[in-house]
Amino acid sequence: MIAGKTWREVRVMALAYLLILELLCVPVLLLWPEIYGDLQRSTLMRNLGIDFLKRIGEGVSNKSEQVAYLNWCAVMLFFRSTNLVGVAAAVLLGTGLFAREREAQTFEFLLARPVSRPRILWQKFWPCALAVTLPIYAVSWSAVYWSHRLELELPLGPLLLASTHAAAFVLMFLALTTWLSVRCRVQAHVAAWVGALAVVQIGIYLTQRIRPYSLFRLADFDWYGPILSGNTTARQMFDPLHGPGFTTWVLLAAALCYGLALRALRRAEP
Amino acid sequence: MTAAAIAVRGLGKSFGSRTALRAVDLEVAAGELLGIVGPNGAGKTTLLRTLVGLVPPSHGSLAVLGHDPRTASLAIRRRTSYLPGETGVYLQMTGAQFLRFAAGFHPRQQTALRDRLLDGFALPLRQKVRSYSAGMKQKLAVAAALAPDVDLYLLDEPDRALDASVRFFLRDVLLDLQRAGKTIVLSSHHLGEVETLADRLEFLLDGAFVPPAAVQAARARLRRRPRLRLGDGAELPAGARLLQREADGTLLVETDGDPMAWLRATPPGAIDSAEVGVPRLEDLYQLLLRAPGGRP
Repeated sequence: MIAGKTWREVRVMALAYLLILELLCVPVLLLWPEIYGDLQRSTLMRNLGIDFLKRIGEGVSNKSEQVAYLNWCAVMLFFRSTNLVGVAAAVLLGTGLFAREREAQTFEFLLARPVSRPRILWQKFWPCALAVTLPIYAVSWSAVYWSHRLELELPLGPLLLASTHAAAFVLMFLALTTWLSVRCRVQAHVAAWVGALAVVQIGIYLTQRIRPYSLFRLADFDWYGPILSGNTTARQMFDPLHGPGFTTWVLLAAALCYGLALRALRRAEP
Repeated sequence: MTAAAIAVRGLGKSFGSRTALRAVDLEVAAGELLGIVGPNGAGKTTLLRTLVGLVPPSHGSLAVLGHDPRTASLAIRRRTSYLPGETGVYLQMTGAQFLRFAAGFHPRQQTALRDRLLDGFALPLRQKVRSYSAGMKQKLAVAAALAPDVDLYLLDEPDRALDASVRFFLRDVLLDLQRAGKTIVLSSHHLGEVETLADRLEFLLDGAFVPPAAVQAARARLRRRPRLRLGDGAELPAGARLLQREADGTLLVETDGDPMAWLRATPPGAIDSAEVGVPRLEDLYQLLLRAPGGRP
């Protein structure tokens, strides 16, 4: 019942999110030949003072068009689109999960149903989780089709791995927002907290010396580029003993936030 | 009436430094209809929330349908229908969608009763709840709360925002539910109507039930307090003292003896109209709060 209601509430937003992701993806892929030519001629990106932008510039203007294209996809599909639109969608959906129930005075009605609180949380969470993760896979797979039209290869395995990491990263934000949504009485407060966190994290990311401490370091070009090029294996993604294991850390953070949300909901009073 | 549907001993609940319930004792027999009245903030909502397991008590023992809400609230909620004090209906749904959604949580529904409620309430079920008035939203919430076929109904101010005719209709429905063997606990601000409906009435004041003797004494005293309007230019006749003058000119007075005898003895034309023996809830609260044995 609750999951069905949640899905009906989020499905339009999920569709809009999918369309936005796809619209962000198609032009940058279809315009690739011209962009690659421009990037080859321009030295601007490679001479930028900001280290990660310089690496991006070097990556997307690589002499091998195939390597440059994979780096371009890492930047555009993942570093830009899912970090921007995916995180925004997760925050938008998660914000209202419980705070909106409080605002609409339906929180007490919901808690008084003969359903356990862990089940309430799960039935509200998983439709949102699907809504924010499935479009990432859908758009990634559509990118394979667009790449074929350009006669370039976008390998499915690495693409699936990168999509999985992007989905995990978005899930982490959804779980964080859900936790805050259980704790806060007003949706605007949830949005303010997550917005403030995102701004601080972006600020940290843009400061070279402290960049490793930013959440966005877990989902930037330096992470997605090697995955799409096949230089980072699934084991290195998931096993912290054999690589950075960022995906595992992100999933653990998502699980931690979900656990905090569950704890808060168990203690919540109408 | 057989076994106790609700048994509460020494129930207390504090929110930080504020005490909402203090040492509440309550027993409700299966099939009983209990009315709880009390001013705002007396603890009625907290008590009902505690019974359904939404709020954990700070101390005391309680059993609802044989289960402790602290450890088995789910088992209680499966056999209980709870109407929150704040009308909780989803504005984005239509009335019919909301009823279907609410019914989905309780597999056994009283379809005949639900149809009777919907006939009596005459709700536009195809319209979004967003377009409903406050009274219509409350009717929808009441219909959703009474339709499940459960053993216990905990209703927090079910008559809120309802006009008199709907309240009378609701009273008949609740009486029929009780006749069907259901246990009902409801809170209300309409003293007269709850009195005619409930098997028993409890006054909750400052987080505890007022002893029946104190209520009886207060009511006896209120019976000597008629509300009246004086005739044009008339003075208050001797044998009564003025307690309060209301904005509309009505006087609340206390007579030395039987108010009916006093009224009969007043000179013709001195009293324009009088209301005797109809205690108002707010007067009762005030008296109980001031009475030595009234405040718990």
